[in-house]
Formats: sequence, structure tokens, C-alpha cells
Amino acid sequence: MNAQLSRRTLLGGAGAMAAALSAGAANARILPKDMDPLIGPGYRAVDQDEKGLWQLMDRVEEEVSGSNLMIKDEGLKNYLRDLIGNVGGPAAKDMRIYLARIPEFNAMMFPTGFTVVFSGLLLRMRNEAQLAGVIAHESAHFLRKHQIRQWRDMRRKTDIFSFLAMGAGVAGGAAGIYAGDLIQLAQFGTILSLLKYNRTLEAEADAMGLRLLAEAGYDPMAMSETWEQLIGELDMSAKYRRKHRDRDFSLFSTHPTPDSRMADLKISAAEVRQPGKTYDAYRDRYLAALADLRPTLLDDQVKLNDPGASQYIIDTLARDGWNGLLRFHEGEIWRLRNSQAKDDETRAAQGYAAAVMYADAPPDAWRWHGVMLLKQGRAAEARAAFTRYLQMSPNAPDAALVRQMVAS
Amino acid sequence: MRRVMLALMASVALAGCVQQRQYADVEFTPPQGDYKLLVMRPDVSVGSVTTGGMVEPRADWTEQARANFLSALRAQQASRGGNAFIMERRDSLAGIDPDTIAELDRLHYAVASSIALHRYSGDYLPTKRNKGLDWTLGEDAVALGQKTGYDYALFLYAEDSFASTGRVALQVLGVAGCFVGFCAPNVGGGGQFGYASLVDLHTGEVVWFNVSQASSQIAGIKFGDIRTPEGAAQMVDRLLARMKPGRNVRRRESAR
Repeated sequence: MNAQLSRRTLLGGAGAMAAALSAGAANARILPKDMDPLIGPGYRAVDQDEKGLWQLMDRVEEEVSGSNLMIKDEGLKNYLRDLIGNVGGPAAKDMRIYLARIPEFNAMMFPTGFTVVFSGLLLRMRNEAQLAGVIAHESAHFLRKHQIRQWRDMRRKTDIFSFLAMGAGVAGGAAGIYAGDLIQLAQFGTILSLLKYNRTLEAEADAMGLRLLAEAGYDPMAMSETWEQLIGELDMSAKYRRKHRDRDFSLFSTHPTPDSRMADLKISAAEVRQPGKTYDAYRDRYLAALADLRPTLLDDQVKLNDPGASQYIIDTLARDGWNGLLRFHEGEIWRLRNSQAKDDETRAAQGYAAAVMYADAPPDAWRWHGVMLLKQGRAAEARAAFTRYLQMSPNAPDAALVRQMVAS
Repeated sequence: MRRVMLALMASVALAGCVQQRQYADVEFTPPQGDYKLLVMRPDVSVGSVTTGGMVEPRADWTEQARANFLSALRAQQASRGGNAFIMERRDSLAGIDPDTIAELDRLHYAVASSIALHRYSGDYLPTKRNKGLDWTLGEDAVALGQKTGYDYALFLYAEDSFASTGRVALQVLGVAGCFVGFCAPNVGGGGQFGYASLVDLHTGEVVWFNVSQASSQIAGIKFGDIRTPEGAAQMVDRLLARMKPGRNVRRRESAR
């Protein structure tokens, strides 16, 4: 049995098959009202395959919860726990949420009901409603038993494929026909159908997440906003790298495209939104919970050296108002890229100069403002900025050096 | 565990057989007499191979295998004469924070991955040529040794899987096909895999590492079953029984 999936097969004979698979019922929108939870409170694994999966996942959770990638801020942990307790539907009290310090837009739900949220997600959310939307989506994966359903689907399809392939081979052998190409085609079909099932589950989670979000009193429109932001960020990131956003051929991807998700979410949100009701996005509460962590989040993002994405994120957050922290990190984006051809230094200097006009400018904004002034030959102003830096941060690791710069 | 496992599995030839391959520090002498051994919580898992070839974890089999593996280990250590303590959980060691143990487990996992890559997967490092086994867990392991008084720590991993009825049926079909000219006799499915890693808690070094694999290319034919007491004892034996001294030690012995 040849189990190789060759490139030739992918490009050649598979086209017709692919078209046949993706046609028909492929992309109908799943309605939030159809998405009822499949489990109640206190759910435990029932069937043998699910028990095995749960046992394995308990080990995974042990490793995840103890990992030093996890952010251990108790206040924030409580905040996230309350949030999932609010949008988690019937299983709200059973789910656990972990926050990993990884500067990427991602969150995932595991089969036993624990979810891992990446810190990059928290950075990108403008308010609590947006974050609640993502957490509601992840909760929906658990409430709809997606992981075990997907495992069973995969098992069933690979089982069928194995028998068909072997059967075709044996039949072909008996009839004197080489069945290799046919088998490869069938295998390709199996893979495509697995991915499609995955996309269906994601669409289900979107629809149900929306419903959970609305039931918890948040504006269901927050979810499509999140996707709008992600699309904008991907476009900007690609543009700065002089590339086009990677538009995966949707047949091969595990998730629906961001564009189609956003479109579906908008239509569905309009359905569940209560007309005339004013929704609070709880931005203040979100900012307060995230206050201590935000400088770290911005710093992690800027250091990815993805200027398009970083600038987009900062601009997005600044739609709710600029502040010293955002302006400072805007300066950092360009100082770290440091392209002389594009005069990044001037852009950086402008960022720092803008930052120090705000009362909440971090000490480093004053430091870099001083350095930039010094480079421009404005020594007296630079000295004032350095003095301010030393006042704010007298024990900074480079305090002695800066003092020397002020004195000279 | 998955990554070490895959790397290690890929390295061992596919032929249906039982094989072990061990590496030792050049100055390694197998512990004897009055030594104190700390056995870290063994990682045991058992699954069923689906018709399509995926391994589905089985909770009941795993628990059974873990219990049998632990008692086999206890019996094996008792026969060696050493003073061994087997941790059944990460918090079984009095006075030591389970987080400390978890950290050491994770550190060892990273080091074992490196050993798997550079000793078993063929990506040999020129800097480690002729050095036997040259890896260390460093100060964390030494600190644990000082705090607890143990001489060695032993890390164990064991997994087993069994072909499902569907997989065996597929195998039968594959063999039947041989009579009509479509021969697929090597469907495979199910097999044992495990490793043992001994760390000297005085130096922090990994002094001995052994990989054992037992599998066949015929689904339904097995070389052991760690769910049973005999099978678990056999696995422990495959992993730990034939500990060879390091190269320099062997040379000195044969020169004598």
C-alpha cells in the first residue's frame, strides 16, 4: 500500500474530486438558535474513547498549568475565571482558563474543558466584550463536544479509507488493474473531508459563541469586530513586508477564512441582537484588569519586529484614545526596525516626543526622548528629559550612565 | 513525550522484533550495593490502534498497566538490593514541592529529546563523538540530591498499544490479497516502546540511557502486554535488566 500523498496527485487528478466535495452543502451559515449545548453542568467523560482522551488531557493540563509560560497574576486570573464563568453556558463553573505569555492572536479549548488564552489576544482586544466573544467561542467547543466529535469523525473516515483502499487494492489485484492512483485520490478525499469537518465545527463554535455572548448581556457584534481587526492586522503586516496577505485556499484550511467568518458573524449578530438595547462593552473594567500587564504585552509585540502588525494594533487600541504608553511603543516600533532609508529614527523620535506629552508616559519614554534630542543637538532639552527620567526611575539599571550624560 | 517517542521510534528499524539500545557515560558503573535510588513518577500509557492506524488512548488499560508496571518495578528493585523509592505521584516525596519535581521532569524531557535526536535519530554531533553519553540536568538535579540524600534518579517512560479488531481484519485482508496479486502483509499496528534514563544526583549527569522497542509488522501479533503482571515485568526487564558499564570502565576491566 502506498500511503504517500504526492504533489502530482494534489495538483492533477484531485481537482474534480475536490470540486465534487466542496459543492453542495458546503458553506451554509449555521444559525445561533440551532446551537444548543450538548452537555450540562458537571459533565464527565462517558464513553470509552472519551475517557481515554480525558485521561490523556488531564496529564496535558498538569503540564500546562505548571508551565512557566503561564502568567501567574492572581487578579488577572480571577478576572478571566469570572469572564468564562459568565459566558460559559451550563459548563461555566467547570471550565478552567490559563493565560500563556505568547505574543500571538490565539486561544484554544481542550477536550476536558480547560482553555489556554495567549497574551497576544489580550493585547489586541479593545474591551471586555471582544475578549468575552473569543472566550465564548472557545466555551462553545466544549459545550458542543467538538474534540471528541472530531476524533470520532477522523477515526471513522480513516477506518473507511483503510478498508476501501485495501479492498480496492485486492479487487484491483484480482482483476489485474493497478489501483494506486484511485487509492491516492480516495486518500486525498479523506483528508479534505477531515478539514471540512473541522471548518464546520469552527463555524458551529462561532454561532454558539455568539449566542452565549448575547445571553451574557454583551453586544454580539463584538465578535465580528474582532475578526475585522484581525483581517486589518494581517493586511497591514503583509503590506509592510511588501507581500499580500496569505489567503489560504479554503479547501485546505482547518478554519474558515477570516473574511467569511466575519461576514457570517455580522449576519448572525444582527439576528440575536435585541433592537433598541444599549450594550456596554465594559472597556474600563477591561483596562483596569489588564493595567499591570499591558506594558509587557506591548513590549512583547513590538519585539516581534513586525512593524505593520504592531502599528496596526497600536492604531486600533488608539481608536479609544491615545495615551503615553501607546505613543511610546509606537516610537519603539520604528526605533527597533531602524531603517535609515525610511528614516525610522525620525518616526521614533516623533513617537517619544508625543508620548512625553501624556501624564502616563513611562520612564523609558523620557529616556529615549532625551537620547533623540541629544542626537538632534538639543542638549539642554535632552538634559531636562534625562532628569525627568531619573526622577521617575532613580534605580534604573542605567541610572549612573544617564546621570553622567546629564552632568557632561 | 510524543516528540521523543516519534524521534526514537523512527530511529529503530521497522522490522518486527524486540530491540534495545543503550548508551552510557564512559565512566559509568552500574549502581550496586548500598545506593539510594529515586524513581520519578513513571509515565505509562496504553492505547488501541484503530482500523485507520490511529492510536486511541484507553483509560482503563492505562491504569491497569501503570499499576502492574509499578509493582514489577518494585519487585525488580528489591532483587537488586538497592534502596529504591518509587514516586507514584509528583507529591509523594515528603518535604519536596511537587512543582520542583515537575520542573525536573520537564527539564529531563528536554534533555531526553536531545539525546533522542543526537543519539538515536542519526543527527550525530561531532562534539559528542566517542563521549558515550554526555548530557546533564545540571544544578537542579544536584540540588534535589543534596536535599533528599538520593544518589540516583531514574526517569521511565512506557507505552503499549494493541490492534483493534478492525485493524486485525484489515491485516487479514492484506494477507489475503497476496493470493490475488495485491500483497500488503505489513499493515502493522500495536507495539511497545519505552525508555529509561538514569541521572547521577551527585553530578547531575545523565549517566545511562536505554530505549526498548517491541513491535511487529503484522497487526495482531504482539511481543508482550504491559497490561498483565508478566508483561509489565518483561517491560521492566527490557528497560533495566542489562545495564552495561561505560566504555572506559569496560576497557579497564578487559585490560586487567
